[in-house]
Amino acid sequence: MKPPPAHAFVNRLIGLTLVLLIFSGSLGLGAVWMRQEISQAANRGRLLEVKMADVERRLDEVNAQVAAAVNPDALLRQNQVMRLGLLSPREIQVVRVGESPELRLAAKRNREVFNVATASISDEANPPAFHVLTTALR
Amino acid sequence: MSKGFATNRLSLLAVGVVMCFMTVAVRLVYLQAVDRDELLRFVDKARRQIVVEHARRGAILDARGNLLATSRSELTVAVDPWALVEYLEIEKRPERRAQRAAEETAKHARLAELLGLPVAAVEQAFVPAMRAIKPEDDTRDGQVDGKVKDRWVKLCEGVDEPTFDRITALNIRGVTHERVYRRVYPGGALAAHVIGYLNREGTAVAGAEHKLDLYLKGQDGWIESEKDGARRELAQFRSREVPAQDGDDVVLTIDSVVQQIVENELKNIAATFQPQFATIIASDPMTGAILGMANYPTFDLNAYNKAPLAAQRNYAVTDIIEPGSVFKIVAAGAALNEGLVTPQSTFDCGITTIDYEGRTIKLPKEDEPFGMLSVAGIVAHSSNRGAAQLAMRLGDERFYEYARRYGFGETTAFALGGEVRGILEPPAKWDGLTISRMPMGHSVAATPLQVHMAMSAVANGGVLLRPQIIKEIRDSNGALVRRFGPEKRAQVLKPSTAATLAQLLTGVVREGTAKGFDIPGFEVAGKTGTTQILVDGKYSTTHHVASFVGFFPASRPEVVLSVIVDDGHVPTGGTAYGRVVAAPAFKHIAEQLIQYLDIKPVLPNPGRFLAMQGGAR
Repeated sequence: MKPPPAHAFVNRLIGLTLVLLIFSGSLGLGAVWMRQEISQAANRGRLLEVKMADVERRLDEVNAQVAAAVNPDALLRQNQVMRLGLLSPREIQVVRVGESPELRLAAKRNREVFNVATASISDEANPPAFHVLTTALR
Repeated sequence: MSKGFATNRLSLLAVGVVMCFMTVAVRLVYLQAVDRDELLRFVDKARRQIVVEHARRGAILDARGNLLATSRSELTVAVDPWALVEYLEIEKRPERRAQRAAEETAKHARLAELLGLPVAAVEQAFVPAMRAIKPEDDTRDGQVDGKVKDRWVKLCEGVDEPTFDRITALNIRGVTHERVYRRVYPGGALAAHVIGYLNREGTAVAGAEHKLDLYLKGQDGWIESEKDGARRELAQFRSREVPAQDGDDVVLTIDSVVQQIVENELKNIAATFQPQFATIIASDPMTGAILGMANYPTFDLNAYNKAPLAAQRNYAVTDIIEPGSVFKIVAAGAALNEGLVTPQSTFDCGITTIDYEGRTIKLPKEDEPFGMLSVAGIVAHSSNRGAAQLAMRLGDERFYEYARRYGFGETTAFALGGEVRGILEPPAKWDGLTISRMPMGHSVAATPLQVHMAMSAVANGGVLLRPQIIKEIRDSNGALVRRFGPEKRAQVLKPSTAATLAQLLTGVVREGTAKGFDIPGFEVAGKTGTTQILVDGKYSTTHHVASFVGFFPASRPEVVLSVIVDDGHVPTGGTAYGRVVAAPAFKHIAEQLIQYLDIKPVLPNPGRFLAMQGGAR
């Protein structure tokens, strides 16, 4: 068997070296690209953290301002400055509703809708055993 | 060209290359081995950094979620005048440089306006100057002359974020800043003694801020990473990161509106009676939750450094007073509870002496002459002699035991601390007169809160509760960490006795010492108290502690209210009795609380059965 020529081996060696160089170069570039990406992602994360902290700081600021604006003393001052004349009610002005307002309104509405009328005799001493109810839809 | 010359050239080149490599190698060995430690230290110092992430301090809220204390960032604005100089020096063209300088000067006027400073002061801050430092520390600018460029000239402290945003928008060269977190109290003086404050160093000094510091302060975190030449963090080189844990929020039982009502009334008392101090406490008798606790004098939490120390005391727990006639609930309640008397039992309150345990004891004076009084009458008219006789029925030991059960002589376990125990001596230390004087509230001393909780026990069916000031703890995400419920300390009276005593106390405003201070439909039950103050070891006839402690409605109590005024002066002259100084304030507050807390009136009992018909399914 005839041995391969020396220059063919050299060519193959050069070729392999080139492939190796390209491969390792690609790995190197890949590593650099990856590090760059990591760096950018980390910085983006950091910026987001800074932004979040900033938003929270501003939120605290707004909350403090709102709390100062709505505290009872500030509201009383506003009442005076704006001459609103708002006062807490006195017991004499309060009408307390014992029954459920929903049921009361529902009953009122029912009376309006069904136009309820009752018929009974006028002798209250001897009331009838039953009432006659007539209803009519409007 | 000869072959030998070429060989020599190649040899020289090879030697040169080898020499270069050798130099690099020697340098590498020098850097990596010889100077390694020093260089590593330098790099470590120059690049590595540990950034502390400060935890945000938790907020303090009232029972309805209103902010009472929170943290807010504030900025200290300063000037680096050399930065402006360097900025102008970059521009080589004189006319362009002059234009830039003029633009910056115009911005300085706007900056002065935003900070509320004179323009001259701002311009002065921008004048570059040198600052003296120790020569051994002078390595910053390359000249060891003991002077460095002053790059921090403070302009203004306490600048808020919106103002600073407007300053930043101006893009002024050389303006720099430092951000700090300050505690702010949106209510100013509202509940000042309960909330407490943080001083400028960030140390919690008093009140909830101090007692609940462990919950509020949170835990700082830290980040270990590297920085670039401009001192910016290189986030990709973060090696360790411990996140900050924000502080928990503390929710108090205080209701801001109730607190405001109480504080406004204190202002009226202060303006009218000029007292040494005054305290008002409002609470829920069933849970012991304090709805409002205020003192006069008070102070603004945002300006605590201007307040005298006397104004910073929570008199409700730090100072003791003789409870006076309010203490009669002890003798009356105990005698009823032991079944020794009924409300109808009568006593001769016109006598001046009485035989007790083989001795004749002189009874205390009355404000007005009484004859035979029932127990109900003794309570309503606040008879000192009647109360003394009730205590004598009990005997020293049993009376003392009941006084202890009411909570006198020991702290109430108030969660914010700072309270004193008061004075209640055991019978072994009593003199011959104590059994006749203590039932009227002399020879005993208590804090306003102790007196308040004793009355609260009558209101809630005879249970002595621990006063609740903390409702719950919530973490920074709003999740519940801990809830504080009612804590029973002792069963003072049987529920039936407490209900009877409550009804007797309604007689005080109906026909007794506070007649005319009833609120129709709301069954006010209470007790007036007027105690002479000890001045130079003698009871003064001109200095009094006036009090009115009570609750309403008597048959289903919803609020316990105490008004205690120390050394008030009646403008028209006369003695500062409880009914003159404290009872009007009690009524005024009660009327407002009825509306705010939507307390329903007690319907009069018609004396017959009421048939009711329900229909809704």
